Amino acid sequence: MSLFAAGLTDIGTRRSSNQDTLACTVSPEGDHALAVIADGMGGYRGGEIASRVVVEALMDALTPVLARTPAAQVPERIQTAITLAAERLEDTRRGRPELDRMGTTVVLAWVQQQRTWLAHLGDSRGYLLRDGSLCQLTRDHTVAQRMVDDGSISPDEVARLPFRNVLTQALGATAEPRATVTELALQAGDRLLLCSDGLTDALPEPNWLPLLGRWPVLDDQVRGLVDASLRNQADDNVSVVMIQYC
Amino acid sequence: MAVLSQLVDNVVANSFELDRPLMHLGRHPDCEIRIDEISVSAHHAVIEVEQNAYLDGAVDYYITDSASTNGTFINDIRLNGRQRLNSNDLIRIGWNLFRFIDEDENALEKTAYILEE
Repeated sequence: MSLFAAGLTDIGTRRSSNQDTLACTVSPEGDHALAVIADGMGGYRGGEIASRVVVEALMDALTPVLARTPAAQVPERIQTAITLAAERLEDTRRGRPELDRMGTTVVLAWVQQQRTWLAHLGDSRGYLLRDGSLCQLTRDHTVAQRMVDDGSISPDEVARLPFRNVLTQALGATAEPRATVTELALQAGDRLLLCSDGLTDALPEPNWLPLLGRWPVLDDQVRGLVDASLRNQADDNVSVVMIQYC
Repeated sequence: MAVLSQLVDNVVANSFELDRPLMHLGRHPDCEIRIDEISVSAHHAVIEVEQNAYLDGAVDYYITDSASTNGTFINDIRLNGRQRLNSNDLIRIGWNLFRFIDEDENALEKTAYILEE
């Protein structure tokens, strides 16, 4: 087996700063991979700082143990790293009132041979592409998603909801944020896709598969999605990471 | 508080404040929003006003058609089931046009933020 990863972030067409941060790494043997996207918020500087601090903390904590963590301990490792990242965020905020409202979403993929764990807080998402179909693996931590879940509104109504961007969970708002962790087994040919809401807002999901089919190489596929969102005048920062299992 | 403004030739002819938890629209005299016009059923639709269960201070307005003869349309799409109204939605009751205006909705922050625990 071999894992390949590619990632790209873009400021979008309207924002003056990119408050998304991403990172991904594949072990030299190609059998382990780690990818993170964080979408910061809380003002011009706050959002940039929050997403960068959290991604750096997660990569610092998890990269060294990526290839030597028993599967049973992976969810706990991820949660410990999330807690550490929240503490780093708090340390950064201390004594800086201008960063009072900073926070960030996070979506993280840990791939260990065929097994994968996806962890998330907020509305950055993870998807699985398998056998020509696209499946969303994460459920947004938003007020809008809760209203869909309780039947108040249909999924089609979310885009028009005035408070669709209000998150119920993210790093920065709670002392001990708990990520939602999903586990799945990969099959040969599977691709994982992580993204910030800049992609999902600008480029409807039904457009993804036809676009991705145009390019055999993962880097080109990631570039193709980001470029398509920019052509649609993406007004938020757009970030995409893809991991392929061959 | 939200209002329902009846439009005639694109001019507001009448305004109804949505100030009760349940408001009936129809031709019948017991309707809180009475529309005395032939295309409107006696009990045509209802609007429910509810506090949002997850977001303090947010109020949701839901409209449901009451099996009317000529239908209820939101932004030219026939209402099927219960639907949340958003400010500036155009509502057609039979042949009567209304604009739903919720000034409080415009005050909600549009950028992403996190609910405090």
